[in-house]
Amino acid sequence: MTEIRHLYLSFDGKVIFNDFSLNIKRGEKVAVIGESGKGKTTLLNILSGFTTDYKGRVYVFNKELNPENINEIRKDIAWLSQDTSTKERNVEELFFRPFSFAVNKHKKPSEKEIKAVFSTLHLDYSLMNKRVKNISGGQKQRILLASCLLLKKPLLLADEPTSALDEQVKRDITDFVLSQKELTVIAATHDDYWIRKSDKVIELK
Amino acid sequence: MENVIDINYFELFTGYALMLIPVFVLWYYKTGLVKDTLIATVRMTIQLLLVGVYLEYIFKLNSITVNILWVVIMSIIASYTIIIRSGLRFKLFFIPVVLSGLISIAVTDAYFLGFVVKLENVFDARYFIPVTGMLLGNTLKNVVIALDAFYKRIDEEENYYHQYLANGATKKEALQPFMRDALRLAFNPMIATTAVMGLISLPGMMTGQILGGSNPNVAVKYQIMLLITIFSSAVLNAVLTITLSNRFAFDGFENLRKDIFRKQ
Repeated sequence: MTEIRHLYLSFDGKVIFNDFSLNIKRGEKVAVIGESGKGKTTLLNILSGFTTDYKGRVYVFNKELNPENINEIRKDIAWLSQDTSTKERNVEELFFRPFSFAVNKHKKPSEKEIKAVFSTLHLDYSLMNKRVKNISGGQKQRILLASCLLLKKPLLLADEPTSALDEQVKRDITDFVLSQKELTVIAATHDDYWIRKSDKVIELK
Repeated sequence: MENVIDINYFELFTGYALMLIPVFVLWYYKTGLVKDTLIATVRMTIQLLLVGVYLEYIFKLNSITVNILWVVIMSIIASYTIIIRSGLRFKLFFIPVVLSGLISIAVTDAYFLGFVVKLENVFDARYFIPVTGMLLGNTLKNVVIALDAFYKRIDEEENYYHQYLANGATKKEALQPFMRDALRLAFNPMIATTAVMGLISLPGMMTGQILGGSNPNVAVKYQIMLLITIFSSAVLNAVLTITLSNRFAFDGFENLRKDIFRKQ
């Protein structure tokens, strides 16, 4: 269970969350919607421990979010940011970066596994040999998503995961990601198809 | 030693006429740097003249305690400059910066003076103070660049740092690309200068020694050793400063503390 209890948060005097609570079951697919500036990204940042100046309690898979547990919690998360700018120069380096971390080393996927996920995400495996600056924003977003999915973490936090994609690709990717039974997905999104396909929709006002 | 032509104070004063060139250029292009240039020149002159007087006295005294104290004071001043130039908060960074400076000096000084020059007393004022002074002066710029680049980039490119952490990286793993960039930025120019040393530039210490009447061969050997010592000390100092300071610069959730930067 991932849970937020009586969350209160304000920025520069503007209240973002006022007594906000939330329950998410394991494997549930949750779409977080709302206008820009209503706190969608902030909610993902709270769940991953990047925004911490709130009042209230947050639990991720029954572990309370605090400095003692943060490393354990982050081991269970795959994170897809809306900002796809990267420090890596080559696509291969970008894709494999998370697998270079000690906690993920044993999860390094085989070429066959990568090719299978790439194909589902409408990606050509030959992209691996390209420079990051020579691929499109949509391709970069899908490569990062492929990397996140192959990490096989129980929780995917995604910020606008389909924002840079074409309509058909969007649908295929949404179907694929939301069909992963064991995976809990919390996505901040404006995408109608993703919202329709999610188990639960949380609107931030 | 050959006779060295001394510069008398009048000649020294006429030498300042060369400063008219930079002052005119900086004034003409409205850089706003004329006042700073003049202040820096006056400060440099007063400081060096005073140091000349101090050093003469300290060399005569040659007390281990006084020599060490002198180096500690130089380190504290260097640390202050590093922190201020990096735009970081003095209170948080003072101890790690001073400590890193002292450790890197201790290691490289001990090796160079004790093992290479084989001094009986490594704290001999004639060697210990000028060598340490050169180390501090020459490593300062690199440490400022490394420290500044490291923390400013984490702040500006927080997204990358978060992306790494949230995908399972430890703090050390997530900081590794920032450390790499900071070191590249700080040491690329030094590597380039080292590579062309002697071809397009004659280092100041060697030139000074030759002008001071030393045999060029001896001057060259000292210069080579000093360049190696400076390089090694600068890299050690930069890495230690970043490693020691990052224990204080992040909160319990491993996020960069926003209060590490000095308010401009």
